[in-house]
Amino acid sequence: METYLGIDVGSVTTKLAVLDGNDELVTYIYLPTQGKPIEMVQQCLKQIKPQLPEDVNIRGVATTGSARYLAGVIVGADLVKNEITSHAVATLQYVPQVQTIIEIGGQDSKIIIVRDGVVTDFGMNTVCAAGTGSFLDHQALRLNMSIEEFARRALDSNTPVRIAGRCTVFAESDMVHKQQMGHRIEDIIYGLCQALVRNYLNNVGLGKEIKPPIVFQGGVAFNQGIVKALQEELGTEVIVLPHHEVMGAIGAALLVHEGMAGSNNGSQFKGFGVSEVKYHTSSFECKACPNHCEIAQLSVGGQALARWGGRCDLWEGSPTS
Amino acid sequence: MTKIGIPRALLYYQYYPMWKTFFEELGAEVVVSPPTTQVMLSSGASRVVADTCLPVKVFLGHVLCLVGECDFMFIPAIRSVKRKIYNCSKLLGLPDMTKAVIPESPPILDIDIDVNKGRRDLYQAIYQLGRRFTWSPFKVRQASLAAWQAHLNYQQLMSRYGLTPPQAIERISGTPEAEPKTPSGNPTPNLGTIALIGHPYLLYDEHINYRLVHWLEQAHYKVLTPEMLTAEELESATARLVGRARWTYEDDVVGAGEHYLESGVDGVIGIMTFGCGPDSLMMDMVRRRAAKLRATAFMSLTLEEHTAKTGVVTRLEAFLDMISRRKRRQAEVCV
Repeated sequence: METYLGIDVGSVTTKLAVLDGNDELVTYIYLPTQGKPIEMVQQCLKQIKPQLPEDVNIRGVATTGSARYLAGVIVGADLVKNEITSHAVATLQYVPQVQTIIEIGGQDSKIIIVRDGVVTDFGMNTVCAAGTGSFLDHQALRLNMSIEEFARRALDSNTPVRIAGRCTVFAESDMVHKQQMGHRIEDIIYGLCQALVRNYLNNVGLGKEIKPPIVFQGGVAFNQGIVKALQEELGTEVIVLPHHEVMGAIGAALLVHEGMAGSNNGSQFKGFGVSEVKYHTSSFECKACPNHCEIAQLSVGGQALARWGGRCDLWEGSPTS
Repeated sequence: MTKIGIPRALLYYQYYPMWKTFFEELGAEVVVSPPTTQVMLSSGASRVVADTCLPVKVFLGHVLCLVGECDFMFIPAIRSVKRKIYNCSKLLGLPDMTKAVIPESPPILDIDIDVNKGRRDLYQAIYQLGRRFTWSPFKVRQASLAAWQAHLNYQQLMSRYGLTPPQAIERISGTPEAEPKTPSGNPTPNLGTIALIGHPYLLYDEHINYRLVHWLEQAHYKVLTPEMLTAEELESATARLVGRARWTYEDDVVGAGEHYLESGVDGVIGIMTFGCGPDSLMMDMVRRRAAKLRATAFMSLTLEEHTAKTGVVTRLEAFLDMISRRKRRQAEVCV
């Protein structure tokens, strides 16, 4: 079977999606990155292999997400694509008439404005991660409940309390303050959801023309409290697709299918065997100029595969020898 | 020979040939700090409160780098170069601020440039500066005329031949600017044209902008910047968009933005730093204009002290994808 593999290595979760020749989703996997992108890519490959048919033929591999270059070297990617393009392409595949894509992930959040099937504008959170998945996780942990329970209880709120969402530090102190005054935990949680949605729309969505159909995706779209708050704030329905958490990986797979269609070259995919390879990462300080850039190095058996992190081209890319 | 230190930061990119000519005509030697490095940025940042803007931190790093290398530090206070339009407060107080936070600096030569006070005061200020080198008002006059001519030549080099300030400075001084060069030269810019708007100290400081111009050129795009436009083009575009300008050097942002949005480039990228008041307002004007015109893709990019360039690269990649996919769609529709 002809298939295309998309790998999305985000800061918090790692996603793999396999599409067939007709761009139908064959299978996917979604695991926490746990700060170990290399191990998680290997883990995901290992776990997805048994879910694929015997005669699987990977015709193209693409990586996306913040660790896309690292993952690309490990698996032998045919395409390394930024997550904004990947998300837009995937959403357009399922909802061709989409005009606004809201994506909130573990560490960053984006908005993508689409008109007539092409991206016309996009935005990403700037210097602050307020209102992303990590913060919600942290709050659930502080309240000693799972993130699923956290989301469920938000829906039981009758009179949500007002929480300052401008900054997570303020939000947290507000939450503690309200909790110590005796407000119901459900009302505090939903109040937080509303605050995060407001913060998202005021920051990332600033100056963007948000028109329906609106598609909401990324890990945070699992959170029904956020979905409800988003619909209330926007005053319109928000679509959450069935595989919203792996849209980046699906988009990468779609893009590599599109890219490979025009070329006669075979895939550079190194095979599922890479999950057994022992990769070694290290870093050193380049002393070539006063910048002293931190160069990260990926190697196998003492042989350097790739280096990056410099401000100039001295160490960038794969070493030729 | 008296050595005058000029920090390679902030207004250096606008006025260096002028300043250099002035001091050299008066018999002084000019020393410029090397291009920004992480060490310089950190040393500058360590002298001020965290809220100080990135370009000022960079500037102070350059001053620190010149301590011990020169007899005087030249830090002008450029208050106003057009009537009733003033500069940002950080630039107004730059000599005083530097004096306060870098007490070990050699004596600071400062000069108040404020055209609102009239010609007489301006000439007086120039004379006061020149008097440190010569008692002859005639010699100061000669030096300032030569400096002005050098400035006009510099601007013309950029607007007529499409050179960036570092390239123009290199052309004038005949010595290559110490910048990393690609051995194979730049690839052909065959994918389109991107205009960068923003202050020169952001566009040409390769350390704080992660070699943005180089990155775009490597991606096969031709890069245009505000300096490649004439003062008249910038001024008239600013007037069209905001009426009367309110800040000095606003034309670099608003005027260039308006001009390039209407000129048929493929995309305009606005570069600003986090926490810059004037820029955050001005860039928003350009963004609104872009949203209204719809024809040209626009993105604003905020630079800060992040040491990893991932965030900037992701946005740039997405921006170029947006442009190329849009073009492809237009081509499909036309067929």
